[in-house]
Amino acid sequence: MNLSVRKIVISGILGAIVILLGVTRLGFIPVPTPAGHATIIHIPVILGGVLEGPVVGLITGAIFGLFSFLQPGAPFFADPLVSVFPRLFIGVVAYLVYFATKRINTVLACVLAGAIGSLTNTVLVLGMATWRGYLPAEVSISLGFLHGIPEMVVAAILTVILVKGIQRIRPAEEK
Amino acid sequence: MELTKNITLGVYLPGSTSIHRLDPRTKILAAAILIILLLFVRTYEPYLLFSLFLFAVVLLSRIPVGYALCGLKPMLPVLAIMWVFQLFLFKTEDTAVLFSWWIFEATEAGLHMGNLISLRVLFLFTTTTLLTLTTSVVSLTDGLESLLKPLAKVGLPTQELVMTLVIALRFVLILAEELEKIVKAQMARGVAFDRGNFLQKTKKLFPVFLPLFIGAFKRAEELIVAMEARSYTGGRGRTKMKTLRFGRVDLYSTLATLAFSALLVFTILRSGPLY
Repeated sequence: MNLSVRKIVISGILGAIVILLGVTRLGFIPVPTPAGHATIIHIPVILGGVLEGPVVGLITGAIFGLFSFLQPGAPFFADPLVSVFPRLFIGVVAYLVYFATKRINTVLACVLAGAIGSLTNTVLVLGMATWRGYLPAEVSISLGFLHGIPEMVVAAILTVILVKGIQRIRPAEEK
Repeated sequence: MELTKNITLGVYLPGSTSIHRLDPRTKILAAAILIILLLFVRTYEPYLLFSLFLFAVVLLSRIPVGYALCGLKPMLPVLAIMWVFQLFLFKTEDTAVLFSWWIFEATEAGLHMGNLISLRVLFLFTTTTLLTLTTSVVSLTDGLESLLKPLAKVGLPTQELVMTLVIALRFVLILAEELEKIVKAQMARGVAFDRGNFLQKTKKLFPVFLPLFIGAFKRAEELIVAMEARSYTGGRGRTKMKTLRFGRVDLYSTLATLAFSALLVFTILRSGPLY
């Protein structure tokens, strides 16, 4: 398997944004729920999947997972099955959704990729947290609704804006 | 808003202590072993041992304790909230109820679960931060590359993956400075980031995110051109000016880490899980 320079660099920079959003807490939007914040850190991962394909999505997701495991923002992330494993899928799912729907309309494809990529994160992380016994099932479900929905909306909007903005400055052969 | 002040991950504090001069492979392996062991800790005693060990490392590497811990600061409020969360929501069959309030019950199991999990977070954080504080990015790369070599034989692009990680670590601080500029520029235009409800706060993030990502992608394009112009091919057949050498200090510290790990395993096994 070979990775092009482009894939290496883009995954690296998106990984840097993930870490940056994590350490500055900018990636957490305070919401009035017990957990206290909704996350938008997974957006660079979704972008990686949409803009550069599943491999970049996977690598960026792995950096996201690794980072949230080694510098956890919430206690149950101190378990690689909750922090690393679910994050591997975000970018890949976002890519698949984008790839399947971009024929219809690219804006719609971005919205769907952002929303479903975000949903993947919410469902898998809370699912794993419940399965590993960190959260009772009822709490997970209510957290899923309270956080999952705002996260999905924000992710969908940001994905569209960012993909459109970034595509404008990228070299022409990428389309 | 001083965004870069509390970032300790990816920062290297140069020094010439024995910890700094260790072979990066020794340090990475030791950190990996300790992190894996941390996942199995379910009682308080191992944490006591662990903190002694980390304290010894801090002393040996002469890193200011306050500096090593300041990256934790932005994390504390969330940690506190999650601790309360665990206290009230974690339940097992037979556990004493400490006190109850409205429909919530604080249980003993919840208290221990909250404590143990928060401790695990703190120790994970400190272990990784100590590793990056005492190891420069270059030697971290060399160490990781050499440790991952067996995986390259299976066909994984290990050199490239390590390069990705290095770019990520290197760009955190660069992008942090850029982010700070953007935030200040928007504040100068009258955006009050700390006011408003959830929706208003979220909306204020858009004029920060867009320039941040666009700037990052511009840098990425420049870096791609620069790397391609220098014919970067993922380091196949690349030689090193400084080759890693496993010296006597490395042997001693590996032995020390292994002895400590054995002790840790023993304490973990001896004391049954608290919950």
